[in-house]
Parts: sequence; structure tokens; C-alpha cells
Amino acid sequence: MKRFQKQFWLGTLVLVVASVAALLVHRDWHERLPAYAYISGWVLFGFMLLLALFNARKKLPFLPLGRSEQWLQLHIYGGFFTVVLFLIHLNFRLPRGGFEITLAVLFAIVTISGIVGLLLSRALPRRLQTRGGEVVFEKIPAIRHSLRQQAEKLALGGPGGSPIIAEFYVRRLAVFFAEPRNFWLHLQESRGPINRLLADLGDLRRLLSETDAAVLDQIATLTRQKDGLDYHNALQATLKLWLFVHLPFTYGLMLFTVWHIVLVYAFSGGAQ
Amino acid sequence: MPEAAPILERPRRWDTPFSTDMTEADVDRLLTIAPFCHMKAEKFPARSPLRGILRNDTRILQLRQGEIIMREGDYGTSAFLILSGAARVIQKPGLPKGMLGRKEPVKKGFFQTVAQLWSAGRPPESYPRSLWRGAEGVAARQNDNRDVRIFLQDVPRVLNEHQTDLMRDGEFFGEIAALSRMPRTATIFAEGEGIIELLEIRWQGLRDMRKNDDELKNHIDKIYRKNSLNTYLNKHPLFRHLSEEQINQFSGQIEFATFGDYDWSGDYKRLAQKGTLQPESEPVIVHQGDYPNGVVLVRAGFGRVAQRFGTGERTLNYIGAGAAFGLQEIVHNWRNPTAPVDMQYTLRAIGYSHVLIVPTRVMEQMVLPSLPARELPAPVESAVDLASDLPVVESQEKVSAETLEFLTTNRFFNGTASMVIDLDRCTRCDDCVRACASTHDNNPRFLRNGPTSGRLMVANACMHCADPVCLIGCPTGAIHREQFGGEVSINPVTCIGCSLCHNNCPYEAIRMVDIRDESGAFVVDQDLKPIVKATKCDLCVENRGGPACERACPHGALSRINLNNLDALSRWLKR
Repeated sequence: MKRFQKQFWLGTLVLVVASVAALLVHRDWHERLPAYAYISGWVLFGFMLLLALFNARKKLPFLPLGRSEQWLQLHIYGGFFTVVLFLIHLNFRLPRGGFEITLAVLFAIVTISGIVGLLLSRALPRRLQTRGGEVVFEKIPAIRHSLRQQAEKLALGGPGGSPIIAEFYVRRLAVFFAEPRNFWLHLQESRGPINRLLADLGDLRRLLSETDAAVLDQIATLTRQKDGLDYHNALQATLKLWLFVHLPFTYGLMLFTVWHIVLVYAFSGGAQ
Repeated sequence: MPEAAPILERPRRWDTPFSTDMTEADVDRLLTIAPFCHMKAEKFPARSPLRGILRNDTRILQLRQGEIIMREGDYGTSAFLILSGAARVIQKPGLPKGMLGRKEPVKKGFFQTVAQLWSAGRPPESYPRSLWRGAEGVAARQNDNRDVRIFLQDVPRVLNEHQTDLMRDGEFFGEIAALSRMPRTATIFAEGEGIIELLEIRWQGLRDMRKNDDELKNHIDKIYRKNSLNTYLNKHPLFRHLSEEQINQFSGQIEFATFGDYDWSGDYKRLAQKGTLQPESEPVIVHQGDYPNGVVLVRAGFGRVAQRFGTGERTLNYIGAGAAFGLQEIVHNWRNPTAPVDMQYTLRAIGYSHVLIVPTRVMEQMVLPSLPARELPAPVESAVDLASDLPVVESQEKVSAETLEFLTTNRFFNGTASMVIDLDRCTRCDDCVRACASTHDNNPRFLRNGPTSGRLMVANACMHCADPVCLIGCPTGAIHREQFGGEVSINPVTCIGCSLCHNNCPYEAIRMVDIRDESGAFVVDQDLKPIVKATKCDLCVENRGGPACERACPHGALSRINLNNLDALSRWLKR
């Protein structure tokens, strides 16, 4: 069996066994043990801390703390197990009251954003190769600027240039080259916008001389390159942006959790 | 109307002489000195006459007492002849690493590792003043030609503490390392009052002299066979069932030769930039269809195994040091004398290859009978129609033909720890880059970008080459190979920022950086020019746990892999 497959099945097996064990413990003990809510709460908090430590591992690459890949596996399967612990801690009921609901919503956002991030991390890298070439995300604005300059030079080249191309550029292409376009459509793998643009460019050919048609072909090539750049921009930005949801909400969740613990102990009579 | 083709004088071998300072008078003088005075000029071909070799492939060095000529472990491509004065070879014990410009790789201790928590915020590439003092026991000075020379500050102490041998005028040294691209085996420094004169002969000149002068050839062959060949044969798995005595019986019949060009990196860089790399222009070691004259053992460098395909050749595999080529055909003919086969593949030198050729007769009479039948390769299949029925070779079972072509054309097989990235799994999060920066003075030592083939990217990071051309010519020995792990490291203390390694590296993996002091201010010299140092990936040799980049990748998309053979890459791609 291949390593990644083995990793997946082993992780899933451990997760299922641990979840079933936790559910059995919950079934047998949650009414018998007076401090059960405290124990399940601390175990849940412990796991949440363990998950949060993954980010700390990333910040300390020079310390011999094991491979990040193993930490991520722990983070993924530990994350799913934490969902089970969370439900156990809630005793499978809906949260009540403003504070509990806020805590549960934060937990849900962190969990869902994590799952979405995982799916994106597995799906988008493969798609990034489908448009050929590899682009460093930080260089995208510079490349876009260069493409725009080249296109402008060709379309608005000066007195000898074609007014038809210049008019089309100003009306349709100037906006296209000025900024990232079609973010959501690229995520949906839609080629509609570029096909329409290229079709419209093609329609201009019958109005142009042979020399101007050659210029138009060069502009079409630049248009395709800009579309590929937008595609990379959309996918690479998405691969980074999900963390901007996952991480801040994790910090919020941890803060609310600590506050929840303080409140529980402050009003422990009620909690028991 | 088409423009007329630009006319250029055809480039010739001596367009760039070894030194522009050599004069006809120097050549006349050399021709009166042994061994050149005994060489017969008429034996040299018209295109590379002896005078031309001396004028273009040699240079006269003028050294002073204590100046280091070569260091143990250095890679060099030239040999030396003492013209006047003497040179001293340091035998045992060798000079300490610090005096050779290197540093001991010391793993960071627990407290040093933890201390990085607060030292990580330092300005990029900042060095404490304690590291500016240079190497201990040696110093640098410039000669009249502004060449930097490193000299031993206390020669009497070196003589007291180390066993040494003296070499006098007329003696040759460094010829084996120059011809076989092996690391230098000893440190040698100039000895004597006043100016000590050496003739440095670059390997091309040495090769041609050896070819055309029997005495020099016999001299070099004798040293090679005595010091190097028998030790190598005794360790080679092909001869492991033979006694030392048996090996001695036939070692005299083994030929050795170098194909290609040691200075391949410059040409490669130029051609790669132009995009005109042509495998067909690589020198042929063995041609497909030739009679199998012997088994070719690759001692150093690399070879491309190819087969005719259409009007060109298709790469089937590449082989490096230790590999044997042509064994299958010779075994086949030995077992089937009535149905002999020719060589099935072509072997070309990629860059350069230093090879040994074990004659077929020796193989049949001594080597093959000693090997167990199960270890011998299978007989050659009946002749195949190459256009329609290409045999599947082992390499293609490991990686695709396209990947093989990619690795060969870009010469990535040279890397013993190449940074490969699986683009199917890489999320472009740059955790690897950040980890590298955190571990190395806040400045990443690689670019997460590079040539790609399918889902494989070979990133722009030092590959810790099997043939480290960056090491050639370092005036201070700052760039060196670690003794145990084999990593190529730079000692920032002794690096003088000459950029030689940066220019030599064909993969552009070495960068020159302006250094700063602890406050973040750039360090400048007396002319207010910034002090630069060479930096590159050191494979986190001082860090516990291995390369930070590899450990930091959360998706298992990055690995440091030995591309000398395809097994590791194949396993990784199929993981």
C-alpha cells in the first residue's frame, strides 16, 4: 500500500476506534460520574490546545519538534476527534444561552473552515498545473503590470496603430489587464469569460489589415497569459485566504473557551 | 530580404588561454627544462603543438614561503611542476580544518537550539564581530597580479607538529586529482627563500601531453595504478570474488580515460540559457553497434545511456560513479559465442566522465568465471525493431521517459540532496521558505521555484552535487565538502566574497549577500564598498533533526533526494 493511503487508513482507523471508545465511556459514565462535565471539558480543552500547538510548531521550525507533516496528520484526525469530544461535552444537546451559542458557533466556524481548508489543500494544487507554468504568488502583480504594459504598447502604440484595436482595448481590455478578474469563475473552473473575450477579439480580424491582425494575435496571446495569471491568482489566494478565517476564529475560540472555564469555576455550583 | 548571416571566426580551443601573462620567452625557457626538453615536439599533432600547449594551457606562479598551493579535500583541475624552490607536503596529521579555511560541523546543543527563539529576530545576514577575524593560523595577501594567496603564518610550528615531505624542483604533483577529478589528498605549501616558481598546467594540457609523450604517460599511469587504481578495483563489487593478487595480474591491462570537459559547467550554463543543449553533441564513450571491447566502469562524472530513436537518440538512463556499462553484452557473448551481439546502447559523457575500461579478454578469463551465475545479467534479447518495439529498461519502470529526459537534460542527476517538490501536493504556503529563513540568519537560502516536469519541480536550492564544480578554485577553501555527510558548506569566516563559487555553480544555487553587523548596519570596507559573502543551502548541517525545509512542509510535498540514482525519486513519486 502506498504511504499516503496507509496514512489515511491508519488515521481513519484510529479516529473511529477513539470515537467509539469515547462514546462508550460517555454512555456509561456521563450520569454516574458527578464531575463528568469537568472531565469531558478539560479533555476537550486539552485537545483544543494540542490542535492549536500545530501553529506554534510552524513558528519554531528550528526546534527539533518532529515533522510538520506528522503534526498536520495529528491536527486533522485530532480535529475530527475534537468534534466528537465537543458533542460529548454538550451531551448531544443544542447549546443554550448567548455565551454557549457564541462558543458553539466559533467552534463550528473553526471546524468547517478547517475542513474546507483541507479539501482546498488537496484539490487546488493539482488544478494549478492545468494552465501550464508556475507562478510565485508574490510576483503576480509585477507580471500583471508587465503584461498590461505590453498590451497597451501594442494596442495604443501610436499614430501608426489600428484605431479599431485601440478602441477595443480601451472598451474591453483595459479593465481586464488592470486588475485580477473573474476570481469566482476561475474557482469554478469556468472558461466562459476568456472564451468570450477571445471570440470578440477574433471577430475584429475581418476589419483589420494583415499587419494589424498580427498585432491582434499578439494581444490575444497576452490576453490568454493574463487569464492564466488570474487563474493562478484566484487559486493561490484561496489557498492562503482560508487560513485568514481559520486562525483568527481559533484565537477567538480559545479566548472564549478560557473565559468559559473561568465562568464555570466562578459559578461551579450551578455547573455541577 | 533576408539579412546576411553574421560572420564569426570559428571558436578554437585556445581562444581563452590559461593565462595571458605567458610569453614566448617563457615557453622557450620551459622547453629547456625537464620533462619538456625530453618531449619530442614532432609527436604532437599540428592542431595542439607542444609550444601551443605550454603557451596556452600553463601559467607560471610565483609564490613565497608558506603560501598554500593546494588543500587536502580541494577539487582542482590542474597539476603543478616545481620550477624553482621547493614545496612541502603535509602528511600526518593533516592541518586542522580551521587552517584549511573550513569549519568543523558542530550540531547545535540544546541551549543553542532553544536560544534561536530570541535570536531569530536579528537583521538578515548579520554576523557577530567575532566571526570577522578570519581563519586561525593563516592569513591572506595579494601578489603583484592581485591574486589572493593564503599563507601559513607560522611555518616552523607546522613543521614541528606535522610529518611533512619535501618536493624539489622538477617534481610533478596534483596530476591524478587533475586527470580523474578526485579530491586532493594532501595539503602542499611553498617552501624556500625568496620567490618559489611553479608551473601550473590545466588538465587539458596535461591530457594532451600525456597522450603524446610516452614518458609522461608512463609516469602518470604508474602513479595512477599504484595510488589509485588497485584500491578502487579491490573495492568494486565486480571484482569482490577475486584476490588482491589476481587483481594485480590484470590491473596493468585496464585502460583509463577521461571524456568530455571538466569545465562543463560554463558551457552548460551558456547553452542552457540559450536553450540549445543537444545530447547528440556529447562525446561518445561507446557507440551502439560497436563490438564490445570491454566493460566501462564509471569512476567519476556521469554518462548518458541512449538508444537510436527516429533520427536522434532517446535517453534510457544515466549512470554515475560505480556503474558498469556493457556487462550484459559481454556476458551474453561469453555464454553464446556462436551468436554474439554488438553494444545495444550508446554511452555518452555528460559534462565529463572518467572511466576505466576492463578488456573483454580479462572479463572472460578472470572476472566472469569468479561471479556466481545469479549475479550475472540476463542475456540480450533477440534484436528488436527499435521503431516499434522499444525494450522497457529498468529506469523507465522507475520514472517516466519524460522525467528521465528532464533530469538528464538539466543535469539534475548531479544532486545528492536535490530539493524536489510535488506540485500535486504543494499548496504554495511557503512554510519551507520561512523555516529556512528562521534557521539561517533570516534569509532563505533557496527559491521555491525552478524547472518543472509534470508534477515534479526541482527547486533552486543547492543540490550538494556529486561533482561540486563550485569547489574548484576557492582561494581560501571556505567552500568545502563535509567529511562525513558529504554536504557542501561555506565557512562564512573565511569566505572573502570573490564570487568564484557563485559563478561556477551551473544551477545558480549560490548567492552573494551583503553582510551586516549585529545592529543591522551593512558592513563596508575602507572604500565604503559592501562586504559580501557567498551563501547557500547547507542542508541544516548544524541543526538537529535534518533540513528545516523538509521538516516544515505540512503536506509532505517537499523532499531532499539523491538523484544520482532513480530509486529514491521513484519511491517518492509513487508514495
